[in-house]
Amino acid sequence: MSWAWFHKLGSTKWFFLWFKNWPLPLFLVGVLVFLMGIIWGLAFAPEDYQQGNSFRIIYIHVPAAILAQSCYLAMGIASFVFLVWRMKLSPIFISAVAPIGALMALIALITGSIWGKPTWGTWWVWDARLTSVLVLFLLYMGIIGLHNAFEDKRVADKAVSVLGLVGLVNLPIIKYSVEWWNTLHQGATFSLTKSPEMPMEMWLPLLIALLGLSCLLASLVLWRMQTTIMKREMKSNWLKQEVLKNGL
Amino acid sequence: MTYFSFFKSESLLLWRHKQDTLNALLFFVIVVTLFPLGIDATPDFLTVSAGGIIWCATSLAVLMSISRMYREDYEDGSLEQWLVSGLYLPFLILLKVTVQWLFMIAPLLLILPIVGGMLYLSEESFWVLVATLLLGSPSLFLIGSIGAALTVSLQQGAMLLMLLILPMYIPILIFATSAIKASEIGLPYLGSLAMLLAISLLSLVFAPFMAAASIKASVNE
Repeated sequence: MSWAWFHKLGSTKWFFLWFKNWPLPLFLVGVLVFLMGIIWGLAFAPEDYQQGNSFRIIYIHVPAAILAQSCYLAMGIASFVFLVWRMKLSPIFISAVAPIGALMALIALITGSIWGKPTWGTWWVWDARLTSVLVLFLLYMGIIGLHNAFEDKRVADKAVSVLGLVGLVNLPIIKYSVEWWNTLHQGATFSLTKSPEMPMEMWLPLLIALLGLSCLLASLVLWRMQTTIMKREMKSNWLKQEVLKNGL
Repeated sequence: MTYFSFFKSESLLLWRHKQDTLNALLFFVIVVTLFPLGIDATPDFLTVSAGGIIWCATSLAVLMSISRMYREDYEDGSLEQWLVSGLYLPFLILLKVTVQWLFMIAPLLLILPIVGGMLYLSEESFWVLVATLLLGSPSLFLIGSIGAALTVSLQQGAMLLMLLILPMYIPILIFATSAIKASEIGLPYLGSLAMLLAISLLSLVFAPFMAAASIKASVNE
């Protein structure tokens, strides 16, 4: 099997040219699918027998929380790839995805505390999941802070990947230690091995909202990466030719 | 430069800068003093929270003291000398962290009986606290040294270091304080101690390499 495609993916030029026209369609699809999931969930899904209508915030809360964690995982893997294979694209990905992941963690925290008020009777509890999402948010902010602290972006790239990798090893330890420490939160909503415990009419819109939000985020990440590539390759010939020939 | 001469010079440096270690210890004592003053000075509160207070103060004092552990070496060019010396950089870092750990943890353990007495810690829990410090503090130093290496070339690195490293201290804090709390109410605590040791061993395997990678990145700019 040829590994050429793998190495091409690591080159900023190939990446830029391949994915140049992807963000806009992906963004539109993402918005459409996300809105579909949200509207279905908010207006048509049945009421919860215990929590009434207040459970509907799940259609924003759960996708945001899942994506906050997935973004961190992706960032950690990209850090590993950069430290091992020195792929130029990895740090661009990391700096593109970090603020988005931080935003998702923040949304999960805010919607979670809004949801907590009617169901638990309080805005905030020192519960395991809440605390670990808060820590996740702080880890994201640390990565963003470290990236901004360096003038020289080459040093920043390496430093951020070291931190990303250390964070990736640490995240499960933090998660489980906090979980053993205290827990009040309900179990996971999505599981690959078990069939969902929610009825289909509630679960399906959630899945659709998750898929829509994922597409939306993917398009934003691609856009941010393209901007960074253009900034970094400002002086290279291929970019000049591409922009002169095909526009932006 | 050999590993032994490196170890010796690092020890001598720390010995001649005794004031730095003393400052870290005084910082530790001051942070511990804040808790009874700020929250509650009755034995009821202090006995149950002594472990947590001492561990919070220790984490902060450790981070303060090692936030500048590579700074001087970076400024006077020693870091370049480490790189060109032909010695194995992760091992040098491990030696340096060991020296730092010894110079901090030994005096800390010496003043611990006084601090423990001030917080009305029972004798049984005191020995558990000593065990958690001995097993858990290596990971504080090892993980902290990654942060110190990451921020070595930054002027205002200390605050950023706190932001980067304190979240990683959370598991250590949780297992240490839960061991002390368990011993306070007579529950088995060996499991938490084992977890502390596991985290220390994991960071022993992992941290020197990560710190070496970030030092190389900072020096080669």
